[in-house]
Formats: sequence, structure tokens, C-alpha cells
Amino acid sequence: MTTAEKPSGIVWRRRRETVAKHWREFATNKAGLTGLIFLGVITLLAILAPVLTDESGLYVTKVTGGSLEPPSAEFWLGTDIDGRSVLLMTYWGARISLLVGFSAAFLSVLIGTIIGIAAAHFGGWISSLLLRFTDFFLVLPSLVLAVVLAAVLDRNTATVIIAIGVTAWPSTARLVRAQTLTIESRPYIERSKALGGGHLHIIGKHVLPGVMPLVLANTTLVVGNAVIADATLAFLGVGDPNAISWGAMLQSALNNGAITRGAWWNLLPPGIAIVVVVLGFTLVGRALETVLNPRLKGQHS
Amino acid sequence: MSPLLELKNLGVTYATGSGEVAAVRGVDLVLEPGDTLGVAGESGSGKSTVAMSVLRLLPRSAKVSGEILLDGEDVTAMKWGRLRAVRWAEASVVFQGAMHALNPVRKIGEQIAEPIRLHPPGGKALSDAEVQAKVTDLLEQVDLPSGRSGAYPHELSGGQKQRVMIAMALACSPRLIIADEPTTALDVIVQAQVLDLLGRLVAEQGIGLIMISHDLSVLAATCRRIAVMYDGEIVEERPSAELMSAPRHEHSKALAAAFPTVGDPVSRFAPATGTPLPPEPEREGDQPALLEAEDLRVSFRDRTGKRINAVAGVSLQVRRDEIVALVGQSGSGKTTLARTLLGLQKPDSGAVRYDGKPVPLRGAGLKAYRRQVQLVLQDPTSALNPNHTVYEAVAEGPRIHGMGANEREIVTKALEAAELRPAEKFLDRLPHELSGGQRQRVVIAGALALDPGVIVADEPVASLDASVRGEILALLLRLRRELGLAGLVITHDLGLAWNIADRVAVMYRGELVEVGTVEEVLLDPKHEYTKSLLAALPGGTAQRAAADR
Amino acid sequence: MTQASTSLDPSSALVDPDERRGGTGTTRFVLTKIGEAVASLVLVIVLGFFLFRMLPGDPVRTMVRDRPTDAKMMAALREQMGVDKPLLVQFWDYVTGLLTGDMGQSYILRQPVAGLIGERLWPTVLLVGSATVLAILLGLWLGIRAAWRRKSTFDRVQTGIALTLWSVPQFWLGLILLVATNGLFPSRGMHSPDVAPGFFSEGLDVLHHLVLPCLTLLVVFYAQYMLVMRSSLIGEMDSDYLTTARAKGLRDELVRKRHAVPNALLPTVTLVFIQFGMVVSGAVSVEAVFSWPGLGQLLYTSLQGPDLPLLQGVFVVLAGAVVLMNLFAELLYRVLDPRVRTT
Repeated sequence: MTTAEKPSGIVWRRRRETVAKHWREFATNKAGLTGLIFLGVITLLAILAPVLTDESGLYVTKVTGGSLEPPSAEFWLGTDIDGRSVLLMTYWGARISLLVGFSAAFLSVLIGTIIGIAAAHFGGWISSLLLRFTDFFLVLPSLVLAVVLAAVLDRNTATVIIAIGVTAWPSTARLVRAQTLTIESRPYIERSKALGGGHLHIIGKHVLPGVMPLVLANTTLVVGNAVIADATLAFLGVGDPNAISWGAMLQSALNNGAITRGAWWNLLPPGIAIVVVVLGFTLVGRALETVLNPRLKGQHS
Repeated sequence: MSPLLELKNLGVTYATGSGEVAAVRGVDLVLEPGDTLGVAGESGSGKSTVAMSVLRLLPRSAKVSGEILLDGEDVTAMKWGRLRAVRWAEASVVFQGAMHALNPVRKIGEQIAEPIRLHPPGGKALSDAEVQAKVTDLLEQVDLPSGRSGAYPHELSGGQKQRVMIAMALACSPRLIIADEPTTALDVIVQAQVLDLLGRLVAEQGIGLIMISHDLSVLAATCRRIAVMYDGEIVEERPSAELMSAPRHEHSKALAAAFPTVGDPVSRFAPATGTPLPPEPEREGDQPALLEAEDLRVSFRDRTGKRINAVAGVSLQVRRDEIVALVGQSGSGKTTLARTLLGLQKPDSGAVRYDGKPVPLRGAGLKAYRRQVQLVLQDPTSALNPNHTVYEAVAEGPRIHGMGANEREIVTKALEAAELRPAEKFLDRLPHELSGGQRQRVVIAGALALDPGVIVADEPVASLDASVRGEILALLLRLRRELGLAGLVITHDLGLAWNIADRVAVMYRGELVEVGTVEEVLLDPKHEYTKSLLAALPGGTAQRAAADR
Repeated sequence: MTQASTSLDPSSALVDPDERRGGTGTTRFVLTKIGEAVASLVLVIVLGFFLFRMLPGDPVRTMVRDRPTDAKMMAALREQMGVDKPLLVQFWDYVTGLLTGDMGQSYILRQPVAGLIGERLWPTVLLVGSATVLAILLGLWLGIRAAWRRKSTFDRVQTGIALTLWSVPQFWLGLILLVATNGLFPSRGMHSPDVAPGFFSEGLDVLHHLVLPCLTLLVVFYAQYMLVMRSSLIGEMDSDYLTTARAKGLRDELVRKRHAVPNALLPTVTLVFIQFGMVVSGAVSVEAVFSWPGLGQLLYTSLQGPDLPLLQGVFVVLAGAVVLMNLFAELLYRVLDPRVRTT
């Protein structure tokens, strides 16, 4: 059967089999699977928001409800201080949160992976310098740094993404560095060097494919953190002032006295939404870690 | 009097994801007080499971059936409290302690004292001073200065850690000691000392000993009887000398042949293999040197910044059509020498020459050189990228060197040359689907794919099972005879040199202390160090065995 | 066999090839670590300066961007903040200012920044300190129990709770606690205006105010420590030295206390300290929710302007404090782990 198969065909068939095997293993992790389904549904709904709902309900000038109405048949989750539907706002908030979460995580993981691999692979003073640099930023309170960045730069969503992205990378860099060191200490790297492989060959054929699974799991966890960071920045008043986000909803609920007036329906929905999304990412990330990092096998429940 | 330990129809099964797996089946063993018994077997034969079952130290997924009678009392039926009282006081364990069996953050004195406090002799608690005195006494028994009791495990060498394990095992004067691979990962000379110490103390104090090992000669040196395990069962149990000289079971023969007696003409150029070797080809006089090191020096800085001369002025030649064995214990610099020859490590001074021309230190010249000299590593499991198929692993070299066009043909030919036939069957396998021996063949095929002149093999069989060892050595010898492939084999194992090498170089503290033909060096050693290496062989050499007779 | 080893005696020096030489000096280690911390502090100071000047234009433009300001006011502000001078002179003034305890004037509060920070330091130390200590104790205790009885109901429930809490934004948790306790505890500040003078009653009053913010911080951070401790201990569970300990006849509880936990504690302790920056970040939003008069709230206030001199001062102090804590952690680790001490 394999005699006629082309070598590249063999490779891709084996890759597909590996992915399928990991998927089966992942599927046995109930928590991870639940998280994945939740996230899938939420992401899909967020993308379809303009199709499924009427955006005009978000504009203060076009509202139909009264100020701080409790949940009713018309407004299932009540209204905010301006009379807007809290349900609609929470729904649309998912778009910003996920956008910021994914983009910031992507940026941060990209920086972290590059620095992490460089800090492990090249050795010598480059690596020590990069390591010191990473450790410095790892120790700094990243949220405070992000707050400062967001306060200094123009207030818009891109700023928030950059502020979170460029402050959240050190832990990824640390992880990638450790994993790169583990891989590079394996004899098959020595064998590859003895075969004549250079830096590009070693990194491209052995290191990158070796760290990618962990990076994938790590990205998932970073997205969760980025969603929290996004909400916190908005809550502290350095988010995008024009965006309807969960953090901004909570900030206005506190500042407009909705909370002191007992309007719990302004407080619970955005917060629960954050928890559900972040928990989803955390569960998926941990499940991925268990599947993809053999060292952790069986450590997470 | 009842026997000290009696295993009756012992069976152990492990619950795994894919159902129950029987690790031990129907094992019967008897050990009289003060007697010594060795249990031999390859990895996965169930020998360690037997050892751990005696004190019920198996993981929770294990199910034990049958009886384990320790001094007539069934261990499997003991209550937890009784079991805890029996542990260490009646029977203690010497683990493969050179590595991890000691707690890294507690002083060794405390760790030795712990069982003494837990099981005080006569049931009366001892004062601190009495415990200290006992610890000092134990350390002296294993030839460690009592001052070492304040040391942490990482401050000790492998041999010292194993001595600490032995001191700990003796702490409560048990009637039985179970030693699980007590000398694996130790150097030959240290191994000889530890075995000697353990054997002496056990004999002096009348303690029964069960020793587990994959190395028959180690067991033969210490134990009166040996039981050979295979696939969870005992296949042969006889007095040591008998079993060593005339093994009956197929598997015992394989184990015995894996550790040949140096000086025995039967095993010279005859590693244990199923397929016959090709005859020695005609050799035309003295060949010129193919790979050559001249006054090579390599040094490192250790953590304190002190310079360590790993290779201190080595000149060595590997000629076309010969296998040279580079022998030495760990830390002798032999691996550094190999890395330098391969251009993986830059020398401080001296030169490496290939085919008479100096080897460039970088760039395209170095890359071209690497086609000529190939590396085979000790542990094939980690020498192959677990995510690469056999095809990718073998094709890696040709791809790096842009040999493109008929890649598939090259790979197939290399696999067949490494005796993986038919090659098609293996192309799409991943390393974890292969046996240890097959993996090592894939590594060798990866080297052959570049059509090299020399293979440098660093302990090529050290992590393989005994039955595979001979086959891989035979392959190296066959490649030399059929293709004229030269080899530099780095090893701590003198038997390996006796099996396949033409010449031996003995390395000690970064220098070659003795170089010559295998017969010259191993049968008539000149240097003190070579002599001590030979003397430390558990089985001894054929010369000495003859002299003793 | 026996004669083999006696023949070795003359060359017994070669027996231990991997015998270690003595450890490096403690002094050298401490000096290196202090050197690294000083380098980090210098970086913090440099970062604190350039972060605020990385935009085209100048800080004053950032500060007044949302409100109507005429050219004269801006010029006055520029002069007051010294941003009309060349960059190098500004940096020099900033550094010498920091060294003499002068961090400029707050734009919103119209007071010296250094004085404000000095006032607000202790409330933050009290809040962060008490929450961290409680979180570590609770987290380690639960983590050890969960790991030791891995996959038990206790473990599953505790891990589930911790994972959920870890996914909760702190400020939201604070708000929920505020609403849920419904006036049982004070919601703002650190002192009541009407409390009787006296050490005891004032202390009690502060504690009363401390409950909610401290609880909020505690709840999120204990979860993290617990998860770390749990996986660290699980990582040690299959270690050979634990089999040795069991073989000696130790009770399960002693195996855990004497052998497993001391080993698992080391990585956890490091992580706890490395993540101290995270605790500080958490304190910012919690202080903002409860108007706790600490550095976090000061940072929050400074964002309203934004009041850049104040923001800069708070950032430098918070980052500097974290660097110092990390130095402390590295020194502590060396005391705790014998392996680091001698290698």
C-alpha cells in the first residue's frame, strides 16, 4: 500500500493521524470539550451579531427603554442608565472582548515565541541579554505597564491591543525558552548538527514544530488573560471610550450609581460573560496542555 | 526453619488504559536466611515488579495475586500498620540510588537516621546522641567519612550516593535486603567497589540478599544463585557459576553472550547474532589514516570559572577499514573528543585531519566534511525526533546536503544496509512504533544515507537490551567488512571492544594512556589504569579465570 | 572480585570523577543578585522616563487632549513640567529629582508627587501584605491537600473553584462583594470619620475597612497559588525518593510532610514571588473599587487627567518595589534550596 505513496504523502498522512489522535485525547477531557463548545458558540454568535440583532439599540439617541429598568419581557436583562438593553450590550460586548483577546494574545505570543527561541537557541551574550530582558519584564507588574501605555497613547481599540500585547509576552517567552532548551538538549539535535544542519534547519525542522503545540496551549491561556486585562483597562477608564465592552459597562455601572441604586442587572451580565469566556479559554488551554505536553500528562485533572 | 522469603505463584497485573497487562506471572522463588539470589532480565521482564512487590511498593494500579511470605508471614495480607512496621525493619531496599532515590533537600545523615528513629531497636526510642553514633557507625561501614553526614545528595558522587543507600538499608539491621539495579549508571570501577561492599556486608551480617540486574556478570559476582526472568516468568534458576558457564534457556544464553568474557577467543570478532557474519576480507597491509587527531586540546570552564582540560593533548588515528574502540569511564573526556572530531566542539589547539587534509572549523567546508564522518548516539529513542517518520529521519541528511533527485532510492538503500528489510515497511513508522534495536538501526541508516567514510558511535549499545546488543554490534562489524566503513566506537564496555574492535585506545583524565591492538591492550595491559579497568570487570578476564582454575 | 578492589587502592583518587568542588561564595552570589537588581532599577527609571515621551509632541498635549486649553495655559504647563527643555536636560532633571526625592508636582491634586506617594504607601503595603500572606497560606494548604488526594472529590471541587475564581476579574468580584454584603462592611476608604480616638478602636476600624478589599484580593490570588502548589506537588509524586520514604515504613502523612512538600514548595515559592507584580496589578483595580487610599487608587486618580507626573511617579515606585521584592525572593530561595547553595 505504501509502495506507491509519495514521501510527502507519508508525512502528511502521519501528521493528520497525529492531529486526529490528539483530538481524540482532547475529546476525553470533558472540561476542555465543554469550554471549546462554549467558546465556539460564543465566537459564532459574536461574528453574526450584526445579522442577528439591530445595532441601533446601542445608540443612546435611539433607545426605547427607560433608565435602569429591571428585567422584563421586553428587556430580558433590563436596561442601563441610558435606557439601552443590557442584553444587547452584553451581546455586542463579546465582539470587542474577543477581538482584543485574540489580537493581543496573538501579538504577545508572537513576540514571546521569537524572543524565547532566540534566547535559548543562540547561546552566548545574545541569549543572556534576552533572558535578562525577559526576566525584567516578567517581574514588572504587566497590568500597570499596560495602563500606563494605554494612558499615554491615543484612546482606541488598537492602543488597548498593543498595550496588552507588548506587556503580556514575558511568560510566553519563558515557556518557549524552557521548551526550546529541552528540545535542544535532546540528542536528535546533536545528530542533526552532525548531519550538517545549520541554525535555520534546526529551528525550522526541530525547534519550531516542537514548541508549537505548547505555544498553541499557551495562546489559549493568554487569550483568557487578555480578556480580563481588556476589561480591567476599560474599567480603569483607559479603554476605547467609544466601544461597548464588558469592562466599560461595569465602569459606567459604578460611576453612574447604577450599583448603589441596586441595579444588579447592570452588574451581573457583563461580569458573568467575562467569567464564562475566560473560564472557557482556561479550560481549553489546560486540556490542550495535558494533551500536547507529555510532561504534564495526568497532572491536570 | 521457614525460609526468609518465599514467593508462591506470584502474579502482578497493571491496569492500563487498554485493559489489564500482566507484568509478572506465576513466579515461585525461595530465599533461605543469609542466602543470595540474583534476578536477571531485560527491561520489561518484570524483575523490578517482583522486587517492589515484596514490600508492597507497587503503584496503586497494580494487582497482586499469590503469596509473598516474609519470614512465614504473608505480606499481601498484612494490615497497613503491620506492613509499616515490617518495612525497612525486616526488609530494606537499595534502590538505583545514584540518581533520584535520595531526597534532594535533606541531609544524608538525617535520611539515614530516619528509619532508625522510626524502628528503634528493641522498641525503645533512642536519644539523639545514640542515633548520631549509629549513623556515624553506618557511614564508616560503607567507607564514608562520618563528616559527610551533613552533606546533601547533590554534593556526593554517584558511587557515594549508592554507599549512602547501602548504609540506609543496613540502618535497622534487616534480615533481607533487596537491591534493585544497585550499580546501573555507575562506572566500572565504582561498580566493582559497590558490589564488593554490598557483598561483604551482607555476608558478614548474615543478611539475605535479592539483587536485580540486567547484567548477568554483576549478579554472578555477588549472588550464589541466579533466576532469569523473561516476559514475566522465571525461565531458569540455577547456581550462578553453572548458569554462567552453561545457560540452558534461549534467553539466558542471549543474556550471557551480551557480556562476553574478555580474552575468550570464542567471542573475539563474534558478537551474539542470529545471522552469520561475512568473512574477514583481505586487508592490504597498513592503511593510511582516514580520520586523525593531532595533539588535540579542549578545555571548559566549570561553574567556579576554573579551567578543566577535558581533552589534554590527544593524538589518535582511525584508518580505513578498521574499528577503533575508545575506552574510558565517564568524565574521562572521551565524548568531548568525539564531539571535537565531528566538528561539534572547537578545539583550543591541535588539529583534526580527514583523509590527510585539515578539517575546516566553519562554513561550507565543515558542512562538506560532515558528509564524511557520521555520528551514532547512545540512546536511539532520544536521537530520533519523535514526530518524524523513519523516512524523514533518514532523509534528513540527504536533504541538508541537497542530494535531492533520487532521495527515495537513497533512503531505501540506507535502510536495507542497516538491515531494516523490506525498507518500505518502515518508511511511514514513527520512532515510538519501533523497538529499541530498530530505532538504533534507523539512526545508523540515517548516517549511511550520506555514504560516509567513518562512523563515530558514542556508546551505541549501552541503552539497548542484551539480546539486541549483539545484533547492533554485528551490524557495525558487517558494515566494516562489507563496505569498508571505518568506526570509532566510544564505550565504557571492554567486552564490546573485545567483540568488534581492531584497536583500543584507553582514555583517562583527558589523555590516551594506552593505544594498541585489542589483544595487546586487553590481554597484556601496560598502564595501571587499564589494569584496574580490567580488574574491575565483574566476570573477570579469561586469563584470570584460567589462572584461578 | 575482592582482589579487584584492593588492587585499586593506589589509584583510588580516580574513583569519583564527578566529585564536586566546594560551592561558590555566598558573597559573590548576593553581590551578583544585588547587581542585577540595581540594573533592573536603572531600567525602571529609564523606562519611567521614556514611556511618557514616546509619542510625537509632548506629554502636555496628552494631558490636555480631552479638554479645551489655550496656548498660554499649555506654555505655563510646559514650563512647570520642564518639557520645554532639551530631552537630555529633562532626563538629567528627572534622575537627579528622583535621587533627591523630588518627583515633580501633581497636576490634579496640586501637591508634590513624592509626598503623595509617601502617604499612600502604607495602606497599600497593609492591603497587599495581608492579602498575600493569607492567600499563600490558604493556597498552599488547599493545593497540598488537593494534590495528595488527586482525583478525589475534594480535588475536583477545589480545582474547579480555583479555576473559576482565576477567571474572575478582580474589580468585578469587588463590586459583587460590595453589593452582596450590603453595607455589612464599609465600602469606601480606610477610616470612618466618627471613630473614637485611641489605638485599639482606630485599629479595629481600619481592620473593618480592610475586610472587603483584602477578601477580594485573597480570593483571586489564593486560587493561583493553589493551582501552582497542586501541580508542583503532583510533579513530585512519582519521585523515587518518595518510594524510598514509603519503603522505610513512614506513614503517608509523614511522607508528604517530610519529603514531598519541602521539594514541591521550592518552585511554588519562587513563582509566588515572581508573580508579585501581578498582585500589585490586582491591587490597583481593587483599590479603585473600594477607594482604598493606597498607591493603586493614586494611580487610578492619575488616569483621570491623565496626570502624567503622578502616573510616572507611581509607576516608578510600584515597579521599583516589585524589583526589590524579586531580589528578596532570589535571596530567600538560596536559603531554602541546598542545591542552589552549593552549585
